[in-house]
Amino acid sequence: MTHTIIEILSYGFMQRAFLASFFIGLVCSLIGVFAVLKGLTFVGAGTAHAAFAGVALAYLIGSDPFLMAVLFGLGTVWITGLVQEKGRMKPDVSIGIFYTATMALAILFIGLMKGYRPELYGYLFGSILSVTTADLRMILLLSAAILTVFFLFFKEFHFIAFDQDMAEASGIPARRLSLVFLYLLALTVVISLKAVGSILVFALLVIPAAAARQWAHTMREMMFYSAGIGVSSSWLGVLLSYWLDIPSGATIVLLMTVVLLLSIFIPRRREEKQKA
Amino acid sequence: MAQSPIIQIKNASFAFNGKLALEDISLDIAEGEFVGVIGPNGSGKTTLLKGLLGLIVPVKGTLQIFDCACEDMRCHHRARIGYLPQMEGSDDQFPITAWEVAMMGRYGAIGLLKRPSSEDRKIVEEALEAVGMADFRSYAFGQLSGGQQQRVLIARALAQKPQVLLMDEPTTGIDAEAQHRLIQLVRRLHQQYHLTIVLVTHDINLISPIVDTIVLLKTRLYGKGPPAEILTQAILAPVYGQEVIITEGERTPYTIVHDTHHH
Repeated sequence: MTHTIIEILSYGFMQRAFLASFFIGLVCSLIGVFAVLKGLTFVGAGTAHAAFAGVALAYLIGSDPFLMAVLFGLGTVWITGLVQEKGRMKPDVSIGIFYTATMALAILFIGLMKGYRPELYGYLFGSILSVTTADLRMILLLSAAILTVFFLFFKEFHFIAFDQDMAEASGIPARRLSLVFLYLLALTVVISLKAVGSILVFALLVIPAAAARQWAHTMREMMFYSAGIGVSSSWLGVLLSYWLDIPSGATIVLLMTVVLLLSIFIPRRREEKQKA
Repeated sequence: MAQSPIIQIKNASFAFNGKLALEDISLDIAEGEFVGVIGPNGSGKTTLLKGLLGLIVPVKGTLQIFDCACEDMRCHHRARIGYLPQMEGSDDQFPITAWEVAMMGRYGAIGLLKRPSSEDRKIVEEALEAVGMADFRSYAFGQLSGGQQQRVLIARALAQKPQVLLMDEPTTGIDAEAQHRLIQLVRRLHQQYHLTIVLVTHDINLISPIVDTIVLLKTRLYGKGPPAEILTQAILAPVYGQEVIITEGERTPYTIVHDTHHH
C-alpha cells in the first residue's frame, strides 16, 4: 500500500471509479430497499441477465451495448408482467423463466460471435476501474433520473410496498406505479452492469437493504443505513481492489456480505424495539 | 327504506380465479346502513367487497356505487370508500409507524407528487384520536398488538373521509376482549360519522347486536334482513346445515354453527 489516497485520487480512472461506485452504490441500495420490502429482488436478478443478453447482442451485431442493455432490461420487465397476467403465473415462476431464458440467449449470442471477446466478461463480473468518461456520464444521468422518479413517488411506493391492494383500494394507481418501480429497478441494473457485472449486481440490490433492515425502525432509517452501507462498501471495495489488485465487483460484494453478517449478529438495541 | 340506495347490485355474478364466486346477487344498501355479511368459508364474502371496491368487475349483471358503475370506477371514487382488508400475517418488521399507516389514508386525496398539508395532518390526528391510538403514533406498526393494528387501520380508513366503510373479518386474530372493544368502536364510528358500513365476518354473534341488516351468502344470496329475521333455523339451515342451533340472546338470537375458519 505505497500509494496515499491523494495519489490514488489523482488518477483519472480512479476518480471515475469513485464517482461511478458512489452513484451505483447509492442507487442500488435505495432502490434495493423497496425491492427487498416488496419482495422483488429476484426481478433485479432476472433483468440483469436480460441486460447482459442485450450487451452480447450489441457485440454480435455491432450496436451500442448500453442501448441494447436498456432495451433488453425494460423489455423483460414488460414481458414478465404480460406473462404473469396472461399465463396466470406466480411472479417467481415467470421471472425464473426469463432469468434463465435470457441467459440462454446471451450464451447463444456469444456462441455466434467470431473470436473471443474478453470485454464481454467485464459485463458479467464487472470492472469498475475500466469505466470510461462516456460510461460515467451515462451513469450520472440515469442515476439522477432514477432517483428523481423514485423520490417523486416515494410516498406511493412506501404504501404499495406496505400493502398493494390497500393502496389500490385507497385511490392510488398502485398497479401502474408498481410497473414504474420495476422499470426503475431494470434501469438500476443496467447502470451497474459494466461496473459490478450482471452476476453481482443482485448483491448490491439486496445486501445493503437487508442489512439496514436488521437495524432500522423507520423507513427513513432504513434508507439512510442502506445508502450508507451501499456507498461505503463500494468505495472501500474500489480502494481495496486497487491496492490488492483484486476484482472490484467481488470485493464490494464480499465487503457487503461482511456488513450483513455483522447486522445479523449485532442486533439493534432492545429498548428501541418498542418505540420507532 | 326512504333513502335511495348508495350501493345497488343487480343480478351480478363475480368470478374469482376463473370460478364463479358469487352468482346472481341482487342487493341494495342504503346510505348509513350497517350491513353484516355472513356465510361459510368460500361463500364469496371477500369477493363481494372486492366488487364493491371496483377491484373486480361482474361477469354478469351490474354493480353501482355512488351512482357509478364499478367498471367506470376511478381513483377518486375509491378514495370515498374506506377498506379494511383481512389481516394476513403481516410483516412485523416492515419499517412504518402507526402515524404513517394512518397518513396513507390521505394519499388518494393528496394526489401524486404532493406532500401532506397541515390539513392532512390534522385529519390524521383526529382519525387516530377517534380510534384511541393517538398516543401510539410514533410506534412501529409491526410492534402493536393485533387489536391496536386494526384500530390504526380503521384510522387509516377514516382519514380518507369515506362515505362507505368496508371491513373484511376485522376481528380475526385478536383476543375476545379486544374483539368486543373493536366492535363497540365500529358501532360508535358508524353513528358518529354517519357511515355506510359493510362488514364481512364469520362471527355472527359478535355483529348481530349492532348491525341493521344481515346478508347471508353462500355463492348465492340466501337472505337479507334485520338480524331477528335472518337468524332463524329456517333461513340458516340451507347455508350451514341442520346442525344450526339458535338460542335466546340478550338482544338478538345466539347462533351456533359448524363453520371452521381457516387462516
